[in-house]
Amino acid sequence: MAEKTPEIWVFGDYRNYFQNRVTLQLLSRAHDLAGKTGAIVCAVVFGQGVQEWVGEYIAHGANRVYVVEDASLAYYSTDLYVAVMESLARQCSPEIILVGATSFGREFAPRVAKRLGTGLTADCVGLDINTEGLLVQTAPAFGGNLLSRIITPRTRPQMATVRPGTFQEIPHNYQAEGETVRVPLPQNLPKDRVRLISSERKPAGSQKLEDSPVVVCGGRGMGSKSRFRNLNELARLLGGEVGATRPVVYSRWAEEDSMVGQADKHIRPKVLFSFGVSGAIQHTAGIIDAGFVIAVNKNPNAAMMKMADVAIVADANQVCLALIKELKKRLRS
Amino acid sequence: MKHKLVRKSVREFSESELGPIAHEIDRDARFPWEVIEKMRPLNFFGLQVPKRYGGAGLDSISYAIVIEELSRVSGAIGLCVTVHNSVGVQPILNFGTEEQKERFVPLLASGESIGAFCLTEANAGSDASGVETHAVLEGEKYLVNGTKIFVTNGGVCSLPLIFAVTGAGDPARNASVFILEKDMPGFSVGEIEDLCGMRANPVSSLFFEDCRVPRENLLGSEGDGIKIALATLDTGRIGIAAQAVGIAQGAFEASVKYSKERQQFRKPISSFQSIQNKLADMATEIDAARLLVYRACALKDSHKPFSKESAMAKLFGSATCTRVTSEAVQIHGGYGYSREYDVERYFRDAKVTEIYEGTSEIQRTVISRSVLAELI
Amino acid sequence: MIVCLKQVPMATELPWDPKTGTLSRDRAEGMMNPACKHALEAALMIRHQHGGHITAITMGPPMTEEILREALAMGADRCLMLSDKAMSGADTFVTSYTLARAIEIFCSDFDLVLCGCHTTDSETAQVGPQLAEELHIPGIANVEHLEMNSDAIRIRRISDSFLEVLEVDPPCLLTVSCQHFVPRYVPLAGLQDAFSGANILAVSAEDLGIDPRRIGLQGSPTRIVDIYTPRADKENIVLKGAPKKIVEELFERFETKLGGIIRKDLNKEG
Repeated sequence: MAEKTPEIWVFGDYRNYFQNRVTLQLLSRAHDLAGKTGAIVCAVVFGQGVQEWVGEYIAHGANRVYVVEDASLAYYSTDLYVAVMESLARQCSPEIILVGATSFGREFAPRVAKRLGTGLTADCVGLDINTEGLLVQTAPAFGGNLLSRIITPRTRPQMATVRPGTFQEIPHNYQAEGETVRVPLPQNLPKDRVRLISSERKPAGSQKLEDSPVVVCGGRGMGSKSRFRNLNELARLLGGEVGATRPVVYSRWAEEDSMVGQADKHIRPKVLFSFGVSGAIQHTAGIIDAGFVIAVNKNPNAAMMKMADVAIVADANQVCLALIKELKKRLRS
Repeated sequence: MKHKLVRKSVREFSESELGPIAHEIDRDARFPWEVIEKMRPLNFFGLQVPKRYGGAGLDSISYAIVIEELSRVSGAIGLCVTVHNSVGVQPILNFGTEEQKERFVPLLASGESIGAFCLTEANAGSDASGVETHAVLEGEKYLVNGTKIFVTNGGVCSLPLIFAVTGAGDPARNASVFILEKDMPGFSVGEIEDLCGMRANPVSSLFFEDCRVPRENLLGSEGDGIKIALATLDTGRIGIAAQAVGIAQGAFEASVKYSKERQQFRKPISSFQSIQNKLADMATEIDAARLLVYRACALKDSHKPFSKESAMAKLFGSATCTRVTSEAVQIHGGYGYSREYDVERYFRDAKVTEIYEGTSEIQRTVISRSVLAELI
Repeated sequence: MIVCLKQVPMATELPWDPKTGTLSRDRAEGMMNPACKHALEAALMIRHQHGGHITAITMGPPMTEEILREALAMGADRCLMLSDKAMSGADTFVTSYTLARAIEIFCSDFDLVLCGCHTTDSETAQVGPQLAEELHIPGIANVEHLEMNSDAIRIRRISDSFLEVLEVDPPCLLTVSCQHFVPRYVPLAGLQDAFSGANILAVSAEDLGIDPRRIGLQGSPTRIVDIYTPRADKENIVLKGAPKKIVEELFERFETKLGGIIRKDLNKEG
């Protein structure tokens, strides 16, 4: 019997398709990895009325899409999805399963790995194939201050959840051809042990700080509550949001919901202004995904200054005021 | 492991709750009731009070660590807690009747009432024989008259202990201690003192004008005053010594951090030997002071005499504190002299540790008296 | 109720063993993982309202005892400490296996297992779901609010962009959100009690009757190849001088970076 073509699977997480494109990003990366191992890229889609996603995934690089369609899968149920995935993976024995590190993915993938008796690496920020053809999974630790490369040598499939935004999606190509394999719902599916009472999309705006393209973050170096308020003015002019460090919130200069850090909000602005922030790891772990970082601090050796694109050695408040003035000038002209 | 956890837990509390406001409460001389509120259920006001009276029942080393860790962030709050626990509560536990303990200790241990010990007067401090406040028994009540000054926790205490003369002759031999209650008519609180350091502690005068104190509020017997005061001060010294260590530690850590960040001649100043020497001396002195405190604590807990040892801990600890905080300002240079940096506050807070609960001069008297007696 | 706890190194100290690529936990100053503290707080709140008994369980080297003492001080009723050389180097797969065996042997009649949502060291957030799998019970992650009703537990949580209300019957496993169940400070009286009394049960691999080859590094399906510090890809340009000058320079030199976003929004403002 001819050896079966190895498969790299990507779990089709389409619930937030327009905001979160991690599945497409994974298809793209799977495509690269497949090139190195001679595998094919397969998307796995569960749900009801999922034809739209099947088309999208093929357009973004899937050679094959496994589809399990049933009314009972309309809602993302961990119990059912895990059972269906287990059954499907046992039938097809994929080499690799990649899952987006969304809330659901991080709840779903560990249980799948457990059932399949294999390893799983969490929240990867890098994937590659080594000389032995093994998947090398790069995972962050300590708020991204350390990275570790992890392999799964003995067990199959090799599994990883991958942080959204790690890879670039392939531009869609609606002419691309792909095979759709419809798989019936496995028999003896267990009952869902969690009852859904309600599920509604969070009203827009509650994620403002996390999703804002511009964030102005302030620390104790702003000096006082009244000076800290200048950051609000600056953020308004920049069309951004204000974030704060833990000490600032504890000093009641800012509201608790503006707290940015490892255990608090994780932000990913395109531009981050950081005023008077020393850069304790508890805070910086929350800004690891920020794009262009401008830090202002009197102390040139503050940790925050070292991790900035532009480090401004000056009084945070004075620079804030100067920026406000300059922006207003540009606004008028 | 217990001591390590006590330190970690209190450090977490002080850094989260006191850290952000330590500067502000000093600047505004504000007593942070909102933090006191949070400290109450955590047993900060009944550190060594037995469980049956609602305390934590901690050993003395744990007690010293608590005071150290509070003072490391805010000397003034460390002061409030140490004075309350040592000289405010311990005398009732040691000399009170069972009725007095049951009535007053739970109030103090829960922090519902804050305690104080009032000895100092305009003409009496180190010399207890100068005390002029007096109590005269009239029927079932003592009539107390006089003025106490520089009372730590004065502005917020509701169950202070008062040292007052109750007989003729040498006041030191004929004095007694009374438990006063805030709502007793004739008891009033003076203005909060404008002090150099420890500004968040409401140090004030207390006035007694024909204040009627029931007989059952007399601690011990008439004439026990000096005995209670001396025993109380032995304990109090441990707390102040621990406080001095804590303040010094705070100033030291700030200095280490600053010396690594501050650059001169394109190098962090911590790479210069003159700064390294300072830091080495500071670290060594603080450690020595800390060990003196823990030794006094260990002796106390094993019920051995610790008067000399607590005096040594206080003498050395407070001197270390003053020296270390002064060096901390020096390391910080011009910034150290600025209100913007914490070391300036540590520097101001430090000096008084050489003054209250027995000046350094008195500690030397205690130590030398003991040393001379030992080596006959 | 069972609460799973983990000791993690304090953020400031990261002593890694360059040979094995794992943390040399015996050299690190440890603390209770913050998220685990939230889980313990959730358990304490449930006990306060509905009664119950809290067992805290951890796996780690002997020094891990410290976080169990801390858990006792905060109010846990008893502790299980899984400590054995054979258990070291475990990944989430075998950690959840080991914890599950201990729970089955020593507290099989539990109603609820509570875990933190993730740890500050390896940050996998996998042990909770995998433990639920091992125990064959339902699990719900990132719980923000919970209500114990007579027969079921009602849960509110945010999963991706959805606000979900779910119901589940005990026994089940919940991991709690780090933004809720803010842990109490350790009361000093509790600390005194935590050291008087033998409420910590030490458990070895042998006590669990498990094959040492199935646990620890040996049993782990994943292997760490190496650990490294990511190199910052930032240019780190330093600007100094008068604020006004700096701001002008900022706009001049970084027009391309700032321009797009700022101009757009400036236009909106205008």
